[in-house]
Amino acid sequence: MIILEPNNLALQTCLENCFSSVKKEVVDITLVDFDNVLYHVSTPILTEKNLIWVSIKVPCFKELERYKVQEIIQKEYGQYLHPELKVEDDYSVTFQLDLDALPENSDELAKHFSLLKRNIFLAPFVQAFNYFDTKPEQPGEVMNLSYRDGEYLYIQAMEDRITVIFSTRFKDEMDRVFGKVFLQEFVDARRQSLVSNAPQVLYSTKEPPLEIRNFPEQNHGQDFSHITFILFPRHFKDEETKYKTVSQIQLFRNYLHYHIKCSKAYIHSRLRNRVVEFIKVLNRAKPDTSSQAEKKLASGRFFRQQRSSLS
Amino acid sequence: MAAMCLDNFASQISEKHNVPEIEAYTTPEVILNPLIISRNENEQVLIESSINSVRVSIKIKQADDIERILCHKFTRFLMMRAENFVILRRVPVKGYDISFLVTNFQTESMYKDKLVDFIIQFMEDVDKEISEMKLSLNARARIVAESYLNQVCII
Repeated sequence: MIILEPNNLALQTCLENCFSSVKKEVVDITLVDFDNVLYHVSTPILTEKNLIWVSIKVPCFKELERYKVQEIIQKEYGQYLHPELKVEDDYSVTFQLDLDALPENSDELAKHFSLLKRNIFLAPFVQAFNYFDTKPEQPGEVMNLSYRDGEYLYIQAMEDRITVIFSTRFKDEMDRVFGKVFLQEFVDARRQSLVSNAPQVLYSTKEPPLEIRNFPEQNHGQDFSHITFILFPRHFKDEETKYKTVSQIQLFRNYLHYHIKCSKAYIHSRLRNRVVEFIKVLNRAKPDTSSQAEKKLASGRFFRQQRSSLS
Repeated sequence: MAAMCLDNFASQISEKHNVPEIEAYTTPEVILNPLIISRNENEQVLIESSINSVRVSIKIKQADDIERILCHKFTRFLMMRAENFVILRRVPVKGYDISFLVTNFQTESMYKDKLVDFIIQFMEDVDKEISEMKLSLNARARIVAESYLNQVCII
């Protein structure tokens, strides 16, 4: 459980169950994902149980639309989009699946839908890759995305590389200190020969990196931690590597915070054990009063029992 | 151990009261001179004794941010469970991280030498525990970072 998966297992299982159920049932399930993403799987019309809607809510969908997220949705899930392009209230996109007209490999389809969030967040990355492929003379524009309330992601394609910057924020002091330890390790780990091909990682807390200094949210003196990934052409040389890299980069923030929480939980359980130990030591100081009552006779019976049987 | 020679002593200020004099601080003549045992300015033990109670306060070594936060968590964790640790004070004395308060009733009902043993073992274990937690945090961070970068590493 060290690595997080890019797909949403809950959504996958839920869809698989819908696809495989012989007796079609009415479903109405809401699922959550990282970065405040919400899924809703439901049967819109009770009389037509073969139709199910899959809706996704992405808080920063407006910003993603700037980076042509519609094209990606069209390309990946085009045939499943709602025929009248209707969108459920409060959600960003709605897909309609007909359970009677599923393709052969319905599990593949479920898996494909479980990558929905990944693919939607792919939009700015695709823009960056496309820009890079034009062999530009100058750096492209910086694309920003407030993927979470008060936390930002920036992507910029340069002449020879692509930079991805996360501005994340730690809620409490303990998270901040732990985060620092973790991020420092990310910077240091690259020195090892085993992972020397990984993207370069830079990290700073005080000054935002030059590229993003002009953004208004960076100028309020907020306590951001900036993590910069520098992707070299070898990290997006073909489609497969591209997807692999982007999947991992997208999950970085979740991965980091997930492991900070894990360490806190571990330390907490450790402290509990230690407290139990200390109480044991302290209890040694208390005179043992129970040993008197438990005295046994030579026959093996308890002294107390003997007395009660006599009376 | 000498500080542990405690006697029952009723309050001279209010009748029928019996309070730890070191806490009440109302009768100066029964308060003894406090004693500081110091390894350096970050690691100190303060022993304040009086006729019927003794207060032992410990300042735990905190070299950096991580140790500071771990130490804070640890002492808070213990003090929240103070009712299980009969001799633990809920709030540390100002300037220290954790305090114990031993009264004459406790020395009468428990073995004195074991109480001293407990405080000494506590002091030994706290440092060990904090440095172990710090090490495990670092080790975890390294593994986490390596396995993440391994994923994005192109062979």
